[in-house]
Amino acid sequence: MLDPGPLVPRPAPAAPTPRADRLRGLLAGGGAQTFGLTLGAIVLALVITAGLILLAGKNPVTAYGALLRGAFGSLDRLAFALNKSTPYIITGVGVALCFRAKVINIGGEGQIALGGIAASFVVLMAPASLPAPLLLSLAMLAGAAAGALWALLAAFVFIKRNVHEVLCTLLLNFVGVLLVSEVLHAPLGEEGAGFPQSPLFPRAGWLPGLIAGTDLHIGILFAVAAAVLGHVLLWRTTFGFRLRILGASRPAAAYVGLSAARSTALVMAIAGALAGLAGGIEVSGVHNRLIEGFSHGFGFNAVAVALIAGLNPLAVLPAGLFLGFLEAGTLAMQREVGVPSSLVYVIEGLMMVFVLCAVGMGAHNRKV
Amino acid sequence: MDLATLAELLSATLRISTPLLFAAMGGLISERAGTFAVGIEGMMLAGAFGGALAALLTGSSAAGLVASLFAGMALALVVALATTRFRADQMVTGLAVNILALGLTSFLLRGLFGGRTPVIRLPTLPAWPVPLLGDIPLLGPVLFRQPPLVYLGFLLVVPVALYLAKTKSGLMLRAVGENPEAAFAVGTDPQRVRTLAILAGGAFAGLGGAVLSLQEVGTFTDGMTNGRGFIALAAIIVGRWNPFGAMAGCLLFGAVAALESRIQGWGLPVSSYVVQMVPYLVALGLLAGIGRSSKMPGAIGAPFLRH
Repeated sequence: MLDPGPLVPRPAPAAPTPRADRLRGLLAGGGAQTFGLTLGAIVLALVITAGLILLAGKNPVTAYGALLRGAFGSLDRLAFALNKSTPYIITGVGVALCFRAKVINIGGEGQIALGGIAASFVVLMAPASLPAPLLLSLAMLAGAAAGALWALLAAFVFIKRNVHEVLCTLLLNFVGVLLVSEVLHAPLGEEGAGFPQSPLFPRAGWLPGLIAGTDLHIGILFAVAAAVLGHVLLWRTTFGFRLRILGASRPAAAYVGLSAARSTALVMAIAGALAGLAGGIEVSGVHNRLIEGFSHGFGFNAVAVALIAGLNPLAVLPAGLFLGFLEAGTLAMQREVGVPSSLVYVIEGLMMVFVLCAVGMGAHNRKV
Repeated sequence: MDLATLAELLSATLRISTPLLFAAMGGLISERAGTFAVGIEGMMLAGAFGGALAALLTGSSAAGLVASLFAGMALALVVALATTRFRADQMVTGLAVNILALGLTSFLLRGLFGGRTPVIRLPTLPAWPVPLLGDIPLLGPVLFRQPPLVYLGFLLVVPVALYLAKTKSGLMLRAVGENPEAAFAVGTDPQRVRTLAILAGGAFAGLGGAVLSLQEVGTFTDGMTNGRGFIALAAIIVGRWNPFGAMAGCLLFGAVAALESRIQGWGLPVSSYVVQMVPYLVALGLLAGIGRSSKMPGAIGAPFLRH
């Protein structure tokens, strides 16, 4: 079996009592050392980026000031940032669960795309007489189901043919993103629109707002629920325990009679369902229509979020919020100070590298 | 299909395969030494940017090529440090440097030239027809009237294959990829070998990016590699970590891409999006078909720990 490396810094306990398990759950990811290292990585990334801002002839203090105002400056900005964080958190929880079992699912992007397509089909094709709550529930379920199926497709090739899951999920990302364009080209496209997009959803297909007067929709509640449920699943259930054993050692898992194939398929389906749900939330909550390329880049961001969170579903919540607010802030930075918003990728990339180094070193230190 | 159309299609296949081929050779060296080459997408992008920038500043394509090589290596150095020194996860480090490359190139493009979407215009490398050989019917236009990097790319496969198969250093590189402990026991420093292999991989991938910016397109645009690094990665696996196999994989993906851009012209009732999916589906199908018999280097992905 391939061993993609020390992604899971802490080995699963051999015989967990519920109490020891809970303690471990709080420690992992929430542990002072991990938290400190992650914080250090973020600060280091921000410092290096400040150098780049200087290089671009702008004042980093002014730029970061604009970033903060852009993220937190008003109720609208907060709503924007929270909406942005939502798909990252929901998808990130699934990624964290997969990575815990050392199933490197980087297919979030394609799974989100498929979820968006399925939800859009339901909303646009359903009879107009359907009450809004029922329509939305159906749309979200369809999104989750489509995402799960897309993930299972990759899982199938991975399990049955032993093709590395990174490649399966990655290749399906490209196909998924293209499928969005394809359905907009033919069955769902809006005629005469300058941009490949579907017609606007009927009102009943819009995700309800959370705070009147802002764009904030109820998606963030789904995100909180996903993080909490993911935490419970990972640390309080037999399945979560199986995932952790699988991640710690596949031979050991096989030795105790644990079916790696079944657990892998199940965790991929869960991650895919979450990503698909995120796709449904994105189309009906933010755009109110299907848009070409709407999921582009989400998959990698979800990986970044899961990593920054130390693969701990509960910690995915702050990590996803961090990234969402960072992106909202850098967009404002571009508007106000003229610093290119591509800096957000620089910060993300640097942060990921530093966090990975910190995790890698930590794993090594524990071994000695 | 007449002969001229066929020649044109085959010629395009070689041209489109070339950037993939450079990246695949680079990735192959890195993977045979035991490091996943997920970062080649970013290294290609860095190479495309470095090449375009240097060519613009100096007015020389040769300088552009050298710069692309170093740009690819610069990003490879990040991967090498993170994975060998700090034992960071190889796969995710690769993804991280891809994001980093996307951000840095886009940022520097705007930072250096100002404006929202600055445009670099470069002359593309012209075809270098080989005298006499270029006049052979069908074969001539396909094989011997290509721009320079096409020749270089396909010629490169031979020394890479020879190096891996026949030289002592190549043997050690493979040993590090299969069993770093054993290589260490006979006096090789696996971390050093891996670092050098990753750097070489970055140099090749950087050149692959230069093929795009200096030879094919004549400009740099954000994210212009557009997944080609990942396709190269699939070609390595389809080719079972063998240079000639990887070359065959690149040619296959090149052929599909060449067909894609022509299918519309032939009036076939297939949408361009569906055609664009084909390379990815072909890659997935091939991988699934080859399945378990894949010959992935034994120690790939595992950090080497000195005890």
